[in-house]
Parts: sequence; structure tokens; C-alpha cells
Amino acid sequence: MAESVEKVESNSDARRRILNIAVSTVLLETGFEAADKMSLETLTEILQCFLTEVGNAARGYCELSGRVEPVLSDIVMALINMGINFHNIEQYAARPNRHVIQPPQQAPSPRTPAMLSAGSKAKLAPHIPFHLPPLPDPHAYIRTPTHKQPVTEYEAIREKAATQKRDIERALTKFLAKTSETHNLFNTEDNQVFPLIACKPTFPAYLPCLLPTDQVFDFDELEYHFQVANRTEDMPTDKKDQSDNEGENGGDNDNANNSQSENQDIPTALSPERSKAGG
Amino acid sequence: MCCVIQFSCYIGTPEFNVQYMLISGMVSSLDSMEEDNGAGHALSDFLLQLENYNPSIPDSVVAYYLNTSGFESQDPRLIRLIALASQKFLSDIANDALQHCKMRTSSQIAQSSKNQKGPKEKKYVMTMEDLVPALQEYGITAKKPHYFV
Repeated sequence: MAESVEKVESNSDARRRILNIAVSTVLLETGFEAADKMSLETLTEILQCFLTEVGNAARGYCELSGRVEPVLSDIVMALINMGINFHNIEQYAARPNRHVIQPPQQAPSPRTPAMLSAGSKAKLAPHIPFHLPPLPDPHAYIRTPTHKQPVTEYEAIREKAATQKRDIERALTKFLAKTSETHNLFNTEDNQVFPLIACKPTFPAYLPCLLPTDQVFDFDELEYHFQVANRTEDMPTDKKDQSDNEGENGGDNDNANNSQSENQDIPTALSPERSKAGG
Repeated sequence: MCCVIQFSCYIGTPEFNVQYMLISGMVSSLDSMEEDNGAGHALSDFLLQLENYNPSIPDSVVAYYLNTSGFESQDPRLIRLIALASQKFLSDIANDALQHCKMRTSSQIAQSSKNQKGPKEKKYVMTMEDLVPALQEYGITAKKPHYFV
């Protein structure tokens, strides 16, 4: 609010300054070398009021006679009404020492930068007059679908699901083969060509059969319980020592379960599977 | 003269009487001053000369102040005429103030015998002392504040 007020005032200040310069020019032509600040301001004020008054009166006369555009006679009547003598205005116009002030430069209006504009604005339709404002960005009123209609065919979906499952299995087995321990098919030391995920048997192998467990309703939940319950990364060190034994067994169980669920090509040890089914 | 205005509801008011006198005065002056061809004709001729003439005040500034009072004209000659009239008005006031200034300084020169500067080289400064009486003759009363707060 204050900025707009300041801008308006600076615009009128620029014109006021031009009037100041004009008054100074007139005083110079008259023969004065200098002028008092107050007298200069007084004369500027007089000039501004004169222009406004002539405009007002001329407009009044113009509208009084039923016109909209003022004519010379309206100005003449306004000047007469104010008591201004304009008979020798021609001689005044032809005076020798005339100074002409440059018109003020048009300051370039600050264009708001076209930020946040996406795409080019569409042209106005021919039935819209051209003097109306331009259309907004096309994304504001044109609906463009962002994605294709999903495929709902049963065959395509089955195929997609199967492909996805196969890709997941392949990726996970590759990952485990690279990171965890591997078995060698051949009798070489270094095996990079056909890595097999090592199967770690638990010790003792008959222990899960002997230990009684509750009935398992959901094997996924059981697996999850083992994975979460034996996590030691976040626990403080003293508690870590307590759960060390459980961690080892749980870790072995985890590796065994993981290797079984993801690697079905390799003949797995059957005892952990049986313990799962029997427990 | 093209300014024959119909004052149908205006008749009888004191303003109408003044205007009527002014118009009739102008009409009578039309008859008397044949060599001038009437003020209106002279001005309409002068308007043609104004096309190439640039008064001291720029057109855009004058047009702005005229627009603030509702006067909109597409003809630049009318605007230049108004600018010229205002300029002449100011120069008349300035001339009167110069006369006052010269009277005052000439009286000072006459009083002081030892004056190194010649009267022609005297620099004239416009002050409120000269301006106020000059404005008084035109009916404009400008009062100077006695003190500044």
C-alpha cells in the first residue's frame, strides 16, 4: 500500500518538477537570474491550478452545449470566464528567446516476470474481441489426462504378475549370491560364473523336532516375528549380549528360511522345512 | 462566431447575465474591430500556426493536468493553446514582479552612491516581496507564513 502511494506521488512529482522547470524558464525569459524557493513554488502552484481550472471550465462549456469533445470556442469561453487576456497571444508566441523543455521520458513500466507459466497461452477464439485480456495458461482450464487407462484384461494382468514375480526372484537370488556365502559347483577356488547360495544347516539338526512349540496359524507372521524379535542393531550393548544366543539361532533360522523361500532350484535341507510344517 | 450557446434553463441567473454581457461584448467587438477579424477568428487562424509550435511546457504534462479535470482532447493544438495561454499568464505576472523589483532596486541604487556594479549588470532575484503585490493586481492573494514551526 505504501509502495503504491509512493509510486503515485513520484509520478506526480515528476510532472510537478516539469512544471517547476517551465516556471523557471519563464522567469529566465523575463529577466530574473534567480528566484526564491517559496515564490517558485507559489508560481508552480498557480500554474497547476490554472491548467486544472481551464480544463474544468472548458469541459463544462463543452458538455453544456451537448458535446463530448471540446472545441476551440470552449477554451475561449473558459479563458474569458477566468479573465485571462489572450488578445496578444500571437505576439507572445513569436517572441525571440524561447526555451523548449524536453518532454519527460516514458519510464518503462516494470513487467511482472512471467514466472510459474507453463506452456504457451492459446490464442483468442475469433468470436472474442481482441481488446479483452489474454487467456490464462492452458493447464488452468484444459483437462489433460495424466496417464493411460489401466489395462483390465485378465490375461494381460496375469502375464504382468507372472513376469514381475520372475524378475523379483531373479534379482533377489543374484543379490544374495553376490553378498552372502556361496557354494561352488566346480572344484575351483574362485567361483564367479555359477554362484550358489550356501545352505547353512542348523546345529543340532534334530533340535527343532524335540522342542515343543505352539500351534502356528500364520507362517508369514512367524517369520516376521523371528526377524523382528532378534534384531540387535538398535539395542544397547548390554541387552545385545543377552540376546546373543537367541540371535545366532534366529539368524541361522532366518538365513535358512530366506534361502528356502527364494531359491527353489537348489535342493534344500528338508529338516527346517519339516520343522516349519510340524511346528 | 461559433460559440452561440443555448442557455435555455440558464436564463435569468446572475451568471447568465455576466455571460451574456461577455458574449455581447465579444460580438460588439467583432463589429468594431474588423481588422482583427474577431478574437475567435484570430485564434482559429492561430491554431493552424500552432501545429509546428512547441510551447515551453511539454504536451504530455499539460494533457495530464487537463485530464485530471476531465478535459480530454485528441487535438494537440488545443493543448498547446492552453499551455501557451498559461505561459503568457505567468510571464505577465513575472513582468509585473520584475517591475516591482526594479523599482525597489533603482531606489536603492539612487540612495547608495558607491555602487561598483552598473545597473545593467544587476542580477534580479524573484522574492516573495515582489511576487505578492504582483499577484495582488491579478486578484490572487498569497500570504506568507510569519514563522515556520
